[in-house]
Amino acid sequence: MPSSFVLLPIETPQGVICEMAARKGRSEAVVAVNGDMVNGPVRPSFHAGRSAVSYSMMNKGAFDTVVSAHHEEILRYLRRVIGQAGDAEDLSQETFLRAYRAYGTLPEDANVRAWLFTLATNLAKNHFRSEKRRRRAYGKAEAAAKGVVGMATEAEFDAREIGALLEKIIEGLPLKQRLAFTQRKLHEMEYEAIGKSLGCSAESARAHVFQALRKIRRGLGGYGVI
Amino acid sequence: MTKKPALCIQIADDLLAAAIGEASAAARRRVDRHVAVCGPCRREFHGYRDLDRTVSGMRDEVIPDVQLAGARERLETRLADLRGRLLTYRIFPSPLGHILIARSELGISAVEYLDRRTTARASRLVHRHEPRVEWVEGGEALEPLYLDLMEYLNGRSRKIDWPVDLRLVRSEFHRIVLEATAAIPFGAVISYAGLAREVGKAQAPRAVAQALRWNPLPIVIPCHRVIGSSGALTGYAGNKLGLKNKLLTLEGVPTTRKGGDPAIRARSMYVAYPGMGAYCLPTCTFLKEAPPAPVARFATREGAEGAGMVPCGLCRPDLHPLAH
Repeated sequence: MPSSFVLLPIETPQGVICEMAARKGRSEAVVAVNGDMVNGPVRPSFHAGRSAVSYSMMNKGAFDTVVSAHHEEILRYLRRVIGQAGDAEDLSQETFLRAYRAYGTLPEDANVRAWLFTLATNLAKNHFRSEKRRRRAYGKAEAAAKGVVGMATEAEFDAREIGALLEKIIEGLPLKQRLAFTQRKLHEMEYEAIGKSLGCSAESARAHVFQALRKIRRGLGGYGVI
Repeated sequence: MTKKPALCIQIADDLLAAAIGEASAAARRRVDRHVAVCGPCRREFHGYRDLDRTVSGMRDEVIPDVQLAGARERLETRLADLRGRLLTYRIFPSPLGHILIARSELGISAVEYLDRRTTARASRLVHRHEPRVEWVEGGEALEPLYLDLMEYLNGRSRKIDWPVDLRLVRSEFHRIVLEATAAIPFGAVISYAGLAREVGKAQAPRAVAQALRWNPLPIVIPCHRVIGSSGALTGYAGNKLGLKNKLLTLEGVPTTRKGGDPAIRARSMYVAYPGMGAYCLPTCTFLKEAPPAPVARFATREGAEGAGMVPCGLCRPDLHPLAH
């Protein structure tokens, strides 16, 4: 035990039966009960001093603010990476339900937005884990991309059609590239946060984004658009 | 197909980064120098720059208000449902071993002794099948409850005054028993049989004991204040008689080990009939004639008087207080 710990006795009418180690005004661990060492992980952070007991459920108002601030963006993100609006809405609900369950344990200084993106990204990955679903999505995307090109000759591409084509190409990207690209280019997330959400390093996240951009350009270039 | 010059391959990453505005100043200068002399790379650079602009344009896409409002409403409905179901728990170290405390939106719903075990895996309550309940680990919001509990266990407060949520109580009968138990004051004890009479089930003290066994809120609902008619502590939270003894001692209830089993020292406690409004010495002649009724025993006169009792006019416990 580091020397900066202080042992605080916990009094009971039977005498001191339990000691708590404290550091910087925070209790860290019960180290002994009746002289026996207590093993196992110990719950941190009981702030010194007594605050007035607030019986309101873990700050319901605070979570409402989170929903108001991020619901639209998370929904937009999921719509982009999932494709089907209905599935995306289900996953956005799931994102916020998960967030609500874990909100109480989130550190105060956490980046809530990046955390929500991570939750949403994990759900998106699970969604596509079923190989069948992924194939179906790819197949549709490719067919649709061909359809768009089939309709128009080079000269007739206007901005809207480029947008539609772009979306189809993005839908056809491998999942990690699509997730990284969408987070970076459409939601301006930091590579660090993207890496965390994908379970890889910031460098890998950047590589995914670059790879996606190359593929998109090749895809558009193939139709002579850009 | 012609092979790209080595320099072009080397600079490809920087070139892309520069085109989308993410390159460092040094890389940017390198790229500028290169595209000034290399035609294909210049076209590539412009291609990426245009692509980046097009992609940036997609950022502003909005979801139509109607769709968004609908999605938000459906989310709020599911969140409200979750809020109603959720029990947030946390496990704290305490002089009585690790203790799990859980609360819902309505109030405190569980206190459970986990002994030396420190995870929810050890919890009987968490693993009980309850379709309308979902358990999640909570954070700092539960700490004030722990502090309340420690105040009580350290003898600095006499009542844990929490709003309680009895959703984990198993039946209506259990709820009635627990509500009657909650009314037993600090420093008083009552027998299982007495409690059974109190709730109108005089013939079923064992059913009453079962209700206490499933008490989801020990300490808060003081089931440790219910003991056997003989004065023996009988049982507590499985096999934690020692804990029951500790909790009673904390309240000043005198206990002894009668033939190995802990029991209260009934002769050192005042006797009261909650319905009569008076408390007596254990030797009072009135007690010999009194009809069987729920009897509470108090460790101190203050405790009895705090519960609204007056000294008996026959035995005058106010003039002859029990020696402790």
